[in-house]
Amino acid sequence: VNALATLETLLVLTLVKAAPLVYAALGGVLCERSGVVNIALEGMLVVGAFAGALAAFFTGSALLGVVAGVLAAALLGAMLGIAATRFGVDQIVAGTGLNLLAVGGASFGLVVAFGQPGASPEVPALGQRGEIALIALAIVLAFALEWALRQTPWGLRVRACGENPAAVRSAGVDPQAVRLAAVIAGSAIAGLGGVYLSLGELNLYSDGMTAGRGFIALAAVIFGRWTPLGALGAALFFGAFSALEFVLQRAGIPSELMQALPYLAALVALSGFAGRVRAPAADGVPFV
Amino acid sequence: MKQTLLGAIALVCIAALAMLLAGASPIAGFSALFSGALGGVPQLGETLVQTTALLFPSLAVGFAFRAGLFNIGAEGQLIVGGFCAGLTGAYLGGAGAIAIPAILVAGAIGGGLWGAVAGVIRARFGGNEVIATLMLNILALLLTGYLVSGPLRATDVASAQTATIARGAWLPAILPDSRLTIAFPIALVLAFALRALFAQTVFGYELRAAGEAPEAARRAGIDLKTTALLAMTISGAIAGLGGAAIVDGLLHRFNTELSPGYGFVAIAVALVGNLDPLWIIAASFVFGILQSGALTMQAIAHVPKDVVTFVEGLAIVALAARRYFATRLATTRT
Repeated sequence: VNALATLETLLVLTLVKAAPLVYAALGGVLCERSGVVNIALEGMLVVGAFAGALAAFFTGSALLGVVAGVLAAALLGAMLGIAATRFGVDQIVAGTGLNLLAVGGASFGLVVAFGQPGASPEVPALGQRGEIALIALAIVLAFALEWALRQTPWGLRVRACGENPAAVRSAGVDPQAVRLAAVIAGSAIAGLGGVYLSLGELNLYSDGMTAGRGFIALAAVIFGRWTPLGALGAALFFGAFSALEFVLQRAGIPSELMQALPYLAALVALSGFAGRVRAPAADGVPFV
Repeated sequence: MKQTLLGAIALVCIAALAMLLAGASPIAGFSALFSGALGGVPQLGETLVQTTALLFPSLAVGFAFRAGLFNIGAEGQLIVGGFCAGLTGAYLGGAGAIAIPAILVAGAIGGGLWGAVAGVIRARFGGNEVIATLMLNILALLLTGYLVSGPLRATDVASAQTATIARGAWLPAILPDSRLTIAFPIALVLAFALRALFAQTVFGYELRAAGEAPEAARRAGIDLKTTALLAMTISGAIAGLGGAAIVDGLLHRFNTELSPGYGFVAIAVALVGNLDPLWIIAASFVFGILQSGALTMQAIAHVPKDVVTFVEGLAIVALAARRYFATRLATTRT
């Protein structure tokens, strides 16, 4: 019975730990399949979590918090998307800047809005039901995105923009518009991961609460070979290790080693030891 | 030039707006920022301390960029370099003539090896160095964090850090009432040396060729894999040296909080400096003013210091728009 209880805890904890990763990784997949590298996933989690808590606090409604978090992340995504499509910027540099902007903006916003640094007061959150709904939505979204990318005309366009945007233009479709929409949508999805952290798993925003999950999500994108279901699998895998870390810490296994695992896995995948990994051909290349 | 000026004015306006939002007058905010950074010898000293801390990783980022590589991993290389320096310092005595060079070299080697990992992934396996360096940043924190909280933890303090470096092995201070050490002139000399390396040596030429026209460089017989590996290693060594300078000059021991993100701000500094080592010195000074004035601004004008991070992020996004990098990326990525 004890072993069963532990197993149950592990499974639940895996889903809890994986949910924000799933959202961020799905957002990353959508951006990169359209040809825009998004290393600002961490920043999108931050603004999603912060704006969610902020709106929930001032409106008293957790649902409005969800909307605000998604919109805020979409706004950050629009900055990346416009920079990438309209100005043909270097997406890596822009993404690095957006991460700093998000972290600095949220810390600043905490002081301005709540008059205290570090963390917000408690805000109306989604509660257990809401948390479960968000976890379920993450998984449904992964399947939906996989289907949409594979089976719909929109998905074909997004994938074509990531592989060969010139061909998309020849076919009479504006690749910049497709990319911009994909980046905004992908960022909004990543924002849900942030909302999950501040309004689902907890009921406040605190500095550093995203704890590098955006970068783990980036690892999940690669490990999942730029497909939604692959990213889902990788995020669940990394989530399971987070859950194990919780349990094993009591047995004296250093948590840093478990935390390092997703990043090590990504390095191994990058080096081609886990089979060929290939990013979309035009990933990160501005179309001019 | 005109665009740069307009951009700078826009950033100042946004910063002023943020100060208004925080309930402070922008005039009070900016004057606190500048008096905190330049208002006296101690303030100027602290600004130069921050300049130095930024200069090393910025030179590192600029060096890799020139060779066509994105080193987003200066932060991790700085941390590993600082760790190796702290470890070396903790176990060496106080004989400065031997210990100080040993500590600095240890930092450079540590950072260089950390950079080399990304270099190998790129050169040997064709993996993307951007993602590799991002992952290595976090791994650097986790690995050194584990080592100083467990196996290598100092016994004389409560928090996780290495043992204090003997006083005789600290970097000598060069300005009264300030933490400024000889790390500052060392960084300046390094900047001039790097400029000479790019302008006057065959190796520097090969690096630039690999960065600017990889296909032509390859046909001219330059081994792109070797240059990539060397560029990442040297870039990492420069950042690692910066970590050693922070550990031996300011903290006198290693802990994982040695950098408030110098390696990331360094990307902005290198871009503002147009990848030219001498302009990077000037850009480091400007960002050094922001870093050191931010705390005074927070204390006196009650503007949260995070405004600086926010504005730095905006500056990086704006700078990313330079065509120069966009075209370069397209050629190096394939």
